[in-house]
Amino acid sequence: MKRKAFTAIGLILGALLIAAGLIMFRLYRAADSGQVVMLAMPGVCLGIGSGLFGRNLSELISRRAMNKDPELRKRVEIEENDERNIAVTRRAKARAYDLMLGVFGALMLCFALMGVPVAAVLLLVGAYLLVTGMCVYWQIKYNEEM
Amino acid sequence: MKNCLEELRKRRGIKQEELAEALEVSRQTIGSLENGRYNPSIILAFKLARYFETNIEDIFIYEEEEK
Repeated sequence: MKRKAFTAIGLILGALLIAAGLIMFRLYRAADSGQVVMLAMPGVCLGIGSGLFGRNLSELISRRAMNKDPELRKRVEIEENDERNIAVTRRAKARAYDLMLGVFGALMLCFALMGVPVAAVLLLVGAYLLVTGMCVYWQIKYNEEM
Repeated sequence: MKNCLEELRKRRGIKQEELAEALEVSRQTIGSLENGRYNPSIILAFKLARYFETNIEDIFIYEEEEK
């Protein structure tokens, strides 16, 4: 029930954001606003709205299909909870995380050398530190739990 | 770790799909277990032992890795 409500909210919010993005796009083009932030707003709304709408629509369609076919539901549940599948996903994520740290580091260096505004570089550094900090946090938490 | 899962399964005359369904795992998991590419969790090992009405040690043979 809770999931259904979240899907409905996501669908509505996504549709509203798409509509808002399209309206803003028309208005800003007509007004020829020079502010960068304002020019980016329609794109941001459209992007987030499309993502929300698409994700929740696919969730809705797959749930309907599974409600009609209990056999399919069972198969999907088995695939989702299969311990080997979970292990494979976790291993892939761990590999990708290690790679991401290197990519982040290289990107920070490139940004600094390219003379990108300090604020942008600092944002990237902040994101990098947040991700590594979260890794340490989960390590401590799992160390206590396991 | 070696195992005699395939042998036990064939002796029972069941398919990988049937064993997977009984244990609520995917068919690929059974295939990987039989090939020795994947070592199961202790819970799955117990489930397998219970399914074949035997002990874990009778299905899985632990061999020390050569250094």
